[in-house]
Amino acid sequence: MRTFLLREPHLALLCSPGTRKAARIQSTWGRSLKTVPLLTALAGAALSMGEAGAEGIDTSGHVRASWAARQAAAAGPLAQAHALVPGIAPSDASAATVQAELRASTRLGGVGLNTTVTLQGQRPEGGPSDTRAWVNEAVASGSAAGLQWSAGKKVVSWDVGYAFRPNDVVQQEARRTLSPATLEGRPLVMAEHFTASTAYSIVWVNPTKPRGATGANEPALAARVYHRGADVDWHGFARHGARTGNSVGVAASWVARDALELHASVRHFQRTDGLAWASNAGASSPALLATNPWASSTRGSGQQALLGGTWTNESQLSLLVEGWYDGAALSKTAWQQWANRNQALGALTGRGAPAVAVAGNLAWQGSAFTASGASASLHRQNLYARLSWTHDAWQPALDVLYHPADGGRMVTASLVWQGDRVKVEGGWRVNIGPAAAVVRQLPVQKQGYVMGTWAF
Amino acid sequence: MNHSISTLAAACAACTMSIAAQAQDVGALLKDADRFRMSADNLQVDTQVQTFNADGTPDKERRYTVFAQAGRQSLVLMQSPAEKGQKVLMLADDFWLLMPGSQRPLRITPMQKLLGDASTGDIATMSWVGDYTATLAGEEPCAPDAGAEAQADDKKQVKNASAALRNSKVCYHLHLVASRKGVTYQRIELWLGKQRHEPVRADLFVQSDKLAKQARFVMDSATAPTTVNAMVLVDQLSNKKETRITYLGRKEKTVPAEWLNPMFLARNPSLE
Repeated sequence: MRTFLLREPHLALLCSPGTRKAARIQSTWGRSLKTVPLLTALAGAALSMGEAGAEGIDTSGHVRASWAARQAAAAGPLAQAHALVPGIAPSDASAATVQAELRASTRLGGVGLNTTVTLQGQRPEGGPSDTRAWVNEAVASGSAAGLQWSAGKKVVSWDVGYAFRPNDVVQQEARRTLSPATLEGRPLVMAEHFTASTAYSIVWVNPTKPRGATGANEPALAARVYHRGADVDWHGFARHGARTGNSVGVAASWVARDALELHASVRHFQRTDGLAWASNAGASSPALLATNPWASSTRGSGQQALLGGTWTNESQLSLLVEGWYDGAALSKTAWQQWANRNQALGALTGRGAPAVAVAGNLAWQGSAFTASGASASLHRQNLYARLSWTHDAWQPALDVLYHPADGGRMVTASLVWQGDRVKVEGGWRVNIGPAAAVVRQLPVQKQGYVMGTWAF
Repeated sequence: MNHSISTLAAACAACTMSIAAQAQDVGALLKDADRFRMSADNLQVDTQVQTFNADGTPDKERRYTVFAQAGRQSLVLMQSPAEKGQKVLMLADDFWLLMPGSQRPLRITPMQKLLGDASTGDIATMSWVGDYTATLAGEEPCAPDAGAEAQADDKKQVKNASAALRNSKVCYHLHLVASRKGVTYQRIELWLGKQRHEPVRADLFVQSDKLAKQARFVMDSATAPTTVNAMVLVDQLSNKKETRITYLGRKEKTVPAEWLNPMFLARNPSLE
């Protein structure tokens, strides 16, 4: 049972539902944290040689060291599963990480070349260390016939929101992550046309991926029109995905007063990728199943909408408030059925059911945390507020994500100190609210990090 | 009776003409003062910003490339390692910030533009004409008080600045009030050299009419100034930190129109 549980692709996504960010599972090519500084030094030397040999290579980067602490939940389906069969599903352990990011850009003839590469060494608590590298961006760009083109792996972030972006249809960036991370671009071909106040963009994203690829890996054509009006930025979006069909959206950002900015975004989609209950047994059923009932699914049409604003005063005290509806997330009824099944499964052990079968079924219930796919909202209705203050080199911040459906809250406090080249930051996130709230069932209930960054 | 009326009318006309002439003169004064920083309509200015703690110890150093263009349009490229890739675009009263991590231009408010010891507005705004309505408050000593002598590390520039204060002795005091909503400072008290109209010092007030910063201008020459070499800002709101904005180089440059489109900046990390 344990082996085939690990084969389930959705369980790999269970690692960090608290941050709503899936862990990447990649082959490793080293075994020590010491490898990263060594590789960084070599890469730095190579870049320096490149800089000396080829005029116009612009290089920069940073080295980061961090410690992420995670405290597993004592309640919820995964905690129950682990209580029955310890280690039945992978969990996100505390870890020390050293990361070097190197950026280089140059021009060859009329073509611009930009690349960002990350080298990472990580040592999880109680596990083997792991070293890996990946390319965040590697893109060529130029212009021809009045069009600007780009081809390669590139970050293309759209939309106007902060905590949630309905129309971020190319990058589909994970939002509200606890600690900062450099984005990894998508493979794409893009053509754009610019005037002083208008921009037209058309993107073919994931052109080499199979048509059946899901989420942010889905091959798609996406288009955006931008127009700068008086005080207002207007955006229009359209996307056609190989599996999910068409979606259209609009967004606007308006500076209403010297201290106040308001933004809104809305999107209608024909279909959306995610996970859905796929068993003949009812979603509240206590039946023990042989396979994960939460399966990849392309669901029907729906809407996503965001309304928010930022207010900043002259002492640099800032308040960000956003509310959004995410039609791709599970409904309140679906969560109620999920909670009923968790309760029913938990009661089975007292009636002589095999512990490993119950534990496996409970662990599968954790799939629901990622059911909304790329949008990553647990609930359909969400409220978010962030208060921050910039004072000299310091920036303390406090934010809350609130789910009106069950009263669950995710509270994060953070502090950043920015020096000349060195940046030190830390944060702490805790889930609070009624015991039955969905956030209280997540496998990680408390997590924190400290990070030091040196830029070069 | 008729004589009295015509005398009164003549007096009014003279008075109106005098006010108009004074307004015109003040406008010309401000235009002259702008030329010491903005020597052409479209410029590329390489700028160094050094921040010093209240005790004079160095705090931070930053480098910026500023494209100051006609029509109140500026593009600031952050060049220091800690900020590399950040860009701020200012088009009249509208502002965008581009962070390299997100590759997404964020529309920001004039208040958010104030962030930092030397705000983006301090770095990118190189002229007063068009942003402020000026009136002549009078003629006053250039030096504010005893103790207003420069405290910079560059002895030559300090000498020049001090000499300028001593030599010009009397300055025009201009009272500037914002005529547009997006400007960094709502009110400025500006002192200009009486002979050449070079900027000497300024008090900068934010919207709540609090004194935010005091500025001092370091010229290239004490006797015949032609350009501002540096602007020294002392924070009056919180930390009393001193910020020196040094103009390392100026050259005429007109950027392509699409560089001033916030979406274009997202696709071109290096621009050049």
